[in-house]
Amino acid sequence: MAAPGPGEYFSVGSHVSCLTCLGQRLQGEVVAFDYQSKMLTLKCASSSGKPNLCDVILINLAYVSDVEIINDRTETPPPLASLNVSKLATRARMEKEDKLSQAYAISAGVSVEGQQLFQTIHKTIKDCKWQEKNIVVMDDVIISPPYQVENCKGKEGSALSHVRKIVEKHFRDVESQKSLQRSQAQQTQKDSALSS
Amino acid sequence: MSFLDFQLAYSGVYANMRMVHVLTSVVGTKCELKVRNGVVYEGVFKTYGPECELVLDAAHRKGPEPVVGPRHEDIVESIIFKASDVVVVQFKDIDLNYAKKDNFTDSAVSARLNGEHKEKDLKPWDGGEQHGSDSLESLDADMSNGWDPNDMFRFNEETYGVKSTYDSSLSSYTVPLERDNSEEFLKREARATQLAEEIEASATYKARVALENDLRSEEEKFTAVVRAERESHTPSGRENKYVPPGQRNKEGLSWGAGRQNSPRMVQSNNNVPSTRPGPHDYSLSSAADRVLNGGATWPSPCPSPSRPPSRYQSGSTSLPPRATTPTRPSSRPPSRPTRPPSHPSVHGSSAPVSTMPKRMSTEGPLRMSPKTQRTPRAHRLSSSRGGIPSGVDFIPHSAPVDASIPPPAHSSMSGGTWSSVVSGGEQHSDLSLTHRPRSPKQTTLGSSPAGSCPQVGTTPIDPVAVPVSPTTASLASNQAITPSTEAKESRVQETRQMSPVANKEIVKPVDTSPSIGRPVNKGDTLYLTFPASHEASTGDKIAPPPPAPTMSTATPNTSISPGSSSSPSSPSSSASPASVLCPAPEYKRGPEVTSQGVQTTGPGSKLDGQEDKEEKKDSVQEQVRKSTLNPNAKEFNPRTFCTQPKPATTPTPPRPQGQPSPSVVVPQPPTVYSQTVCFPQMYPLTPVSPGVQVSGPSFSFNNGACCFDFTTVPSMPQQRQDQHHSQGTPTMMHPASATGPSIVASSPAYSAQYFTCSPQQFTSQTLVQQMPHYQSQAQHVFSSVMQGSARMMAPPTHGQPSLVSSSTTQYAEQTHAMYVSPGPIPQSYSHPSATLHAQHPQPSATPTGQQQQGQHAGSHPAPSPVQHQAAQALHLGTPSQQQMYSALTPTPPSMNPGPNTQSTQASFPSAQQAVYIHTQQVQHGYNPSHMAHVQQVSCRLPHVLFTAKAHLQSGVVPSHHTTPSHPPMMLMATQPPGGPQHSLPQSALPPIPVSSTAHFSYMAHPSVQPHHQQQL
Repeated sequence: MAAPGPGEYFSVGSHVSCLTCLGQRLQGEVVAFDYQSKMLTLKCASSSGKPNLCDVILINLAYVSDVEIINDRTETPPPLASLNVSKLATRARMEKEDKLSQAYAISAGVSVEGQQLFQTIHKTIKDCKWQEKNIVVMDDVIISPPYQVENCKGKEGSALSHVRKIVEKHFRDVESQKSLQRSQAQQTQKDSALSS
Repeated sequence: MSFLDFQLAYSGVYANMRMVHVLTSVVGTKCELKVRNGVVYEGVFKTYGPECELVLDAAHRKGPEPVVGPRHEDIVESIIFKASDVVVVQFKDIDLNYAKKDNFTDSAVSARLNGEHKEKDLKPWDGGEQHGSDSLESLDADMSNGWDPNDMFRFNEETYGVKSTYDSSLSSYTVPLERDNSEEFLKREARATQLAEEIEASATYKARVALENDLRSEEEKFTAVVRAERESHTPSGRENKYVPPGQRNKEGLSWGAGRQNSPRMVQSNNNVPSTRPGPHDYSLSSAADRVLNGGATWPSPCPSPSRPPSRYQSGSTSLPPRATTPTRPSSRPPSRPTRPPSHPSVHGSSAPVSTMPKRMSTEGPLRMSPKTQRTPRAHRLSSSRGGIPSGVDFIPHSAPVDASIPPPAHSSMSGGTWSSVVSGGEQHSDLSLTHRPRSPKQTTLGSSPAGSCPQVGTTPIDPVAVPVSPTTASLASNQAITPSTEAKESRVQETRQMSPVANKEIVKPVDTSPSIGRPVNKGDTLYLTFPASHEASTGDKIAPPPPAPTMSTATPNTSISPGSSSSPSSPSSSASPASVLCPAPEYKRGPEVTSQGVQTTGPGSKLDGQEDKEEKKDSVQEQVRKSTLNPNAKEFNPRTFCTQPKPATTPTPPRPQGQPSPSVVVPQPPTVYSQTVCFPQMYPLTPVSPGVQVSGPSFSFNNGACCFDFTTVPSMPQQRQDQHHSQGTPTMMHPASATGPSIVASSPAYSAQYFTCSPQQFTSQTLVQQMPHYQSQAQHVFSSVMQGSARMMAPPTHGQPSLVSSSTTQYAEQTHAMYVSPGPIPQSYSHPSATLHAQHPQPSATPTGQQQQGQHAGSHPAPSPVQHQAAQALHLGTPSQQQMYSALTPTPPSMNPGPNTQSTQASFPSAQQAVYIHTQQVQHGYNPSHMAHVQQVSCRLPHVLFTAKAHLQSGVVPSHHTTPSHPPMMLMATQPPGGPQHSLPQSALPPIPVSSTAHFSYMAHPSVQPHHQQQL
C-alpha cells in the first residue's frame, strides 16, 4: 500500500496505552491499525477474567490522547487464520434474536425470575417464545407466572414432563446458587472482619 | 491487473488485512459503542464498511441504570455509525478463535478445553477386584471370534422366544449335492477340482489373494523411500529365517508387486555395470553361462511348443492376462512335469532372490514366489501343449549340464527359440555372457558382496549341473539357506502342481526343474535387477546405467524369447526363460551393437564380459540374478504376446514398473504383483513384437533392433510409443504414462521421483494450475509425437541421431528435474533449482553412465539412460544409428525416463519449440545446473538437444512455478519481475499466477535460448 504501513505507527503485537477524549484509559496489545480511518484495535485481558476470552477494543485515534507505546513488538505477528464467515453470520443472527426476544419479554413486564427461566429453557429447547407473560415451549407447554413447576401446563406427555424437569432443575440451581452466594458473601464478610 | 482490481475492490479498511480479520472475527458479538457525545450504544456487531462504518443490530441506547434490560421499544433494528462519530467500541469476552476454521486441529482443540481451563485431575483407574481373572489379559487371550451362532440363536430363543429357522444346508437357496460313485460324477468332481486348482494356482488369483492378505503396513506398501540397506540386509537375513508357508506366499505375492521391482531394478542396474567387467564374470560366468545354458536348454525344449512360451509368460508373469491364458492352457499332465521344474526353479529363484536384494526388500521374494508359481503354470501349459514338456526341459538341462558350455546349449536353444530373433548359438553364448554379467550385477545390487558369495557357491554347483544347476544350484543353495522362500513357492506350486516334483527338484531339479527354476529365477532376476538399479542409484557408480539396461533387457529378452518362442512354440515357455536370459545379454550387447539384436549378440556378450571383469565378485551373484532376470523376461514374454495386440496394456505396465521402483506401488494399486509382472510383460510385449515381427510393427521397427541392442532402451521406446498411442491424447495421462515407461525403463528411483513428485505437485501446488502446465506441455510433446514426430524423430535426427536422442534425454532430464523439483518446489521454490541440479547431475551421469556412471553413480542416471536410449532408438529407427545414439545418449536416456513423454515430445522439433516457450523462464534459475548437464551431455548430444533440454527444463520450472502459485493476487504482483530468472524470484514470491508465468516464460524465451546456445 502507498499509505504508511501499520508498522509506522503501531506495529502489530506491541502494547499501547491511550486516553480517550471521554477520559477513559485504554491499554492493550495492538491487533490492527488502519491509518486512513485512524482506527486502532487493541486486545485486552477479558474484563470478566475468563482466561480463554479477551476484550477487543476499537479506538478512533482522532479522539484519543496520550498515546504511548509501552513496549514494541518483538515477534512477527502470527499469520491470520481463515474465518468461517457463515458461522459468524449465524452468531450475529442468533444474538440479535436473543436480544429482541429478551427485550420483548422485558417490555411485557416479565419478572427477572421469568426471564432467567426463559433463558434456561432456551438453552435446551430453542423452540420457546414469550406470549405476553407466558412462556410457550414447543407450542405445547405454557408456563405462566410465577413460573414454578406447578405452573407448567399442557397436554400430559413427555413434553410436559420434560419441561417440568427443566423448570425444576432451574429453580434448584438458582436456589443453590443463591445459597452459595450467601455463603460466599458471609465468607467474605468473615474474611474482611478477620482481616480488619 | 489484480493489484489494481484489488485496490479498487478492497479500499479503506478492507485493504487492511489485519483490521478486516479482527473486525470480522468479532462479528456477531455484543459490543458497547461510545460516540463522541459520550452516549453508549449496545448492540450486536453486524458488519462494517470500507470507511470503517460500524453496524450494530438490535442496538439500544444504554442508560445509566445497567441492571434493567432494554425494553423492546428501545431497540433499534440496526444502527450504522460513522467512524468519525465513534470514540471507542468495546467487545467483551471475545473468543477470537471462535470462527477459525481449523476447529479440529490438535492445537485448536487443546486451546479450547471445552470451556474449562483447569486441567483435569488424573485419577488412577481401578478396575475393581471382580475382574481378576476376567481382566484385560483374559480379553487378549480370548481368541474366540464373537458369539457362536448357536449361542445367538439360543439367547434369542430364551430371551425373546424367537426360534430360528436357520437351516445350515441352506435348502431354501440351493440344492444339496448328491454324491455318488458314478464315473460321471467322479469325472466332474475331478474336473471341478482341477479347475479349482487352476484358479487357485493362477497368478491372478494369487495376486488378488495376496492383495487381501497383504500383511505389509501401508507404510511398507506405499513408501517412496528406497531402503537399500534393508533390501541388502533382508535377503541374507531372510534366507536363513524360517518363514511360515502362509507368510511366504503372502510375502511373495504382496511383495512381488511394485516395490521390489523397483529396488531390484536399481540393483540390476548396478549389477549391469559391474557385470560388464565380464572377465571375472566369465570365470564366474561359467555359472552364469550355465545359467544361460540352462536357459538355452530350456528354450530348446520350449521352442517346439510355441504355446508353452506364451503360457509361461502368462504363467510366469503374475499378470492377470497371462494368468488367464496360461492357467487354463496348462493341462495337468504338462503341468506336472513343468511344475516340478518350476518348483525347483521357484526354490532356486526364490532362494537366490531372497538371499539377494529381493528378500531384503521382501517384495522380491514375494514376487518371486508369484512368478515362480506362475511359471509353473506356464510349464504346465507348455508341457501340456508341447507334449514334451518335462522331457524337453530335461533335455535342455542335461545339455547344458553336459556341455557345461553355455554356448552350445544356447545355440541349440537359440536354434529353436531364437531362430527368429538371433542366430542362436552365438547369441546364446552372448546371452550367457550377458547373463553372467547381469547376474553379477544383480547380485551386487542385492547385496553384491555377501550375496555374491552365496551365489558363487551356487555357481560352482552350476558347473556340475551346468544349465539347470546354475539356477537350481544357486537355488538349491539358496534353498538350503533359505528354505522358507523355496518352501513358500514350492508349497504353492507343489500343492497345486506336484509337490513331489518340487521336492525332487532340489536334488535333480537342476536337470528337470531348470525350466521352472529359470522362470522363477527370471522372476527373481527381474526383481533383483530392480533392487540393483536402486542400489546403483544410491551408491553404485557404474551400476545405474547397466541396471536400467538389464531391466529393459530382461523385458526385452522376454519379449524376444516370446518372439522366438512364438515361432518355436510351446517350448518357448521353458525356452522363454533361456531366451529371456539370452535376450538380456543380447540386449546389453544391443546397446553397443544396437544395430540389430541378432547380430549384436556377439558384441553384447563382449560388453557383458567386460562388465563381468569389472565385477568379478559380484559377477557370480549377478549372474544368478541375471539369470533370474532372464526368467522374468520369459514371464514377460507371455504377456508380450498377449499384450502385443493391446498397446494400451503395455503402457500401463510401464507405469506399474515406475511405481514399483519408487515403491509408490500405491499409484497402481490394481495389482501390485501384476504391476511388477506387468512391467516385465510390457517390455516383453514390445520387444517381442519387434523380435517376432522384426520387420513389422510400427512399435517394433525401432524396437526390434533397438530393443535387442538397448534392451532397456527398446522397451522404453516401445512403452513410450504405446503410451503415446494409447495415452497420446490425454494430457495428464500422457505425462504419467510417459513417466511410467521411463520409470520402468529407468531405475526405480526415477519412477519413484516421478510419482512422488507428481503427487506432491498435485497436492501441494494448485492442482489445476499444475495440471494445465503439464497438460499443455504434455500435449505439445504428445502432439508432436503423436503426429509422428516422435517416430519422425529418426528422420530429422538421422544425420544427428544423437541430437534427437539427446534432446529426448535432455527433456527427460528436464522433466525429471521437474518432477523432482515438484516435490521440493511446493515447499519452497528456491529448492527446485537445487533439486533440478541434483537431478540433472544424475541425468548427466546416466548419459555418461557408462563412462561416468561411477561418478554419477546415482541410480537415476542409469535408468534414465536406458529410457533415453530406448527413446532414441525409437527415434532413430536404424539399428546402427541407434547404437550410436545409445552410446551417445546413454546419459540422456536417464534424463528421459522421467520426461520421457516430454522428452519424446521435445525430441521432435515442434516439441522443442513448445518446450522453449515453457522453459525459458525457469532456465535462468537453473542455468548452472543446466550448464553442467549440458556440458556433460553435450559431448554426446548435439547442441540442439541441449537447447531442447534447456527449454524443457525451463518448461518444467514454469510448471513448478505455476504449481506453487499461491494466492493469485499475491502472485500477480510478484511475478512480473521474475522473467526468465523467475525461478528464484518465484521461490521467494510464493504466489505466482500461472498465466503470468506463462507469459513470462514466453518473454524470457529469447534470452534463455541465447544462453543455452552460448553454453553449448
